[in-house]
Amino acid sequence: MTDTIANRAAKATPQRVARKIKGLSDRAIAWIFVAPTIFLLLAINIFPLIWTIQLSFTNYRANRLNREPEFIGLRNYERILTDSDIWLNMQATAHFLFWTIALQVLIGFTLAWLINKKFKGNDLWTTIIVLPMMLSPAVVGNFWKFLYQPQIGLFNYIVAFFTGKDPSSFEMLGSVQLAPWSIVIVDTWMWTPFVMLICLAGLRSIPDYIYEAAEVDRASKLRQFFTITIPMVLPFLMLAVLFRGIENFKMFDLVVQLTGGGPGSTTELTSINLKREAFEKWRTGYASAYAIILFVTVFGLASIYVKALNKVKER
Amino acid sequence: MRTFLTGLMRLRRGPWEMLATIIIALGVFMLMQPFVLWAFTYSFITTLVGTVMFIVVSHFPEGE
Amino acid sequence: MSAYSVTEPSTRSKWFAGSLVILYALITMIPLAWIMLTGFKSPSDAISYPPKVVFEPTLEGYVNLFTTRTRQTQEFLDANPPQNWADEIVREYDMVIVGPSKFGERFLNSVIIGFGSTFLSVFLGTLAAYAFSRFKIPLADDLLFFILSTRMMPPIAVAIPIFLMYRNLGLSDTHLGMILLYTAVNISLAVWLLKGFIDEIPREYEEAALIDGYTRFQAFYKVVLPQAATGIASTAIFCLIFAWNEYAFAVLLTSATAQTAPPFIPTIIGVGGLDWPAVAAGATIFLLPVMIFTILLRKHLLRGITFGAVRK
Repeated sequence: MTDTIANRAAKATPQRVARKIKGLSDRAIAWIFVAPTIFLLLAINIFPLIWTIQLSFTNYRANRLNREPEFIGLRNYERILTDSDIWLNMQATAHFLFWTIALQVLIGFTLAWLINKKFKGNDLWTTIIVLPMMLSPAVVGNFWKFLYQPQIGLFNYIVAFFTGKDPSSFEMLGSVQLAPWSIVIVDTWMWTPFVMLICLAGLRSIPDYIYEAAEVDRASKLRQFFTITIPMVLPFLMLAVLFRGIENFKMFDLVVQLTGGGPGSTTELTSINLKREAFEKWRTGYASAYAIILFVTVFGLASIYVKALNKVKER
Repeated sequence: MRTFLTGLMRLRRGPWEMLATIIIALGVFMLMQPFVLWAFTYSFITTLVGTVMFIVVSHFPEGE
Repeated sequence: MSAYSVTEPSTRSKWFAGSLVILYALITMIPLAWIMLTGFKSPSDAISYPPKVVFEPTLEGYVNLFTTRTRQTQEFLDANPPQNWADEIVREYDMVIVGPSKFGERFLNSVIIGFGSTFLSVFLGTLAAYAFSRFKIPLADDLLFFILSTRMMPPIAVAIPIFLMYRNLGLSDTHLGMILLYTAVNISLAVWLLKGFIDEIPREYEEAALIDGYTRFQAFYKVVLPQAATGIASTAIFCLIFAWNEYAFAVLLTSATAQTAPPFIPTIIGVGGLDWPAVAAGATIFLLPVMIFTILLRKHLLRGITFGAVRK
């Protein structure tokens, strides 16, 4: 029988008390549910972060286990922030950031605008366009290296076919002038769909009646585009820009497979530079300070991102 | 501009967040600009100040 | 038809937009199509000039991907006739198959680590998301921002202390270590996405269940979970794709037993440099599941991408 004493007692007592008897309180459940997540993040994100901060004030080297690290204060920070080579890595990162974002916004928005014309079969073609961004950046980067080979690569062949140049006359990955652009091209190929999807969400959030009202006011299509479409999509575009900015500031896998930072250090973005310091030269303390500098930058950008997010949410 | 300044005076969230955002953006720009080395040198402290400020001021009350 | 709509584009502009989008889609597919084609080429076809679109397909790349081979003398080859079709392909180069390559193992690692971390992050993420969605948690906004920001950390920056920590705990190059690490990275996205999905489920359902005498936990289990199933599934796909594609942690923290496929595929070396058909075969096998997934589940995935970036 289901009609046990406990059940009968529960039925007889008022709701609030009944819940207390039969199960845990809401407060306890809330903490039980949140605790594992917080614990995991504390163990694998926050504790390491605090450790990194501590290491960044020392001259610790992870490959020399028997030597006690020395406390050297802000020396690591001072050295990094006055190093003109690291400044050059930052500029390489800036070049990559600026052009990938500019191209992705331009192409992504145009595509979203075209897809929003709701032609037949648009969702299938959208999916096909989205495919590159779902793939593993390292494997993709490795394969683009093959496409970029001088003489035998498909990319050089196609460029040669349209420009009449000799396909072995230029090396996308080997030349100091072209290598920074070769990584921009691959990143644009891969991530334009992301900007496109966000813009599409923005375009679809514009209610029809606004256009209908503009039509009643006899505003031209061009005017509607600049006074309705652009301002309404702008918050979404800001989100996409910030998101891609943060992601590309951290860029590692795609570029390390494509160029490995070369030739020279023309495509050595900050993450690749940091990896060299930390896992090839084993200057752990120094690399920790470097990591903190990158982290604070990303955290700052993330705060702006969340602010932008709230703005979109209010709509 | 007036409301921005009074917002700052009354410790309202909106304008202070805006100010912190500008400082962070300035710091990030200084970090990656190709013009002067000293700006690169002081970029980190700028971003850090902006970020800490953002965390603090996001707990200020919303403006009316 | 009722009334003429001003927001409906004309047939001509639809046609124009459609053809431009399709053109872009076709161009964007060229590199992917080329990967798959190259997997079926012989090494000499793969590096021929001009690049060959028409060629005689061979499974050489796939055989090279899955096997290790050694060169043998003519007498040995004559004495031991080929045992199967794979052996026959290798014979053309005076080689015999001596065993499987590491690819199978690495692929299996990707599967174990991918599914393990996905299960954990969705499980923990659902619980946390439910709590954030339904209960008043002190400093909830700060906690949520903290959870989101952990995902934004640069992987290389996190990898330095993780490397030291795992070395001390004996977790480096283990499946468990990688599963925990990917879970920690994914859980922020999981909580973020799932909170959005659970927020959309009306509270009245649970309240009705509570009045019917369910405990809070039963209400969560029997009422909320089934309602959130689609959301949970699409979150799981995102976590799986991230873990499947991840490279930076994998290359820094694993080297042998727990190495996944992405750091392994670029290191496949043939006779005289990179064996491009084998690399392409590996890439195809590795990328194809994600592509098929994306096309089959496009509705949920596309919604999830925008949801994850735009909603809070």
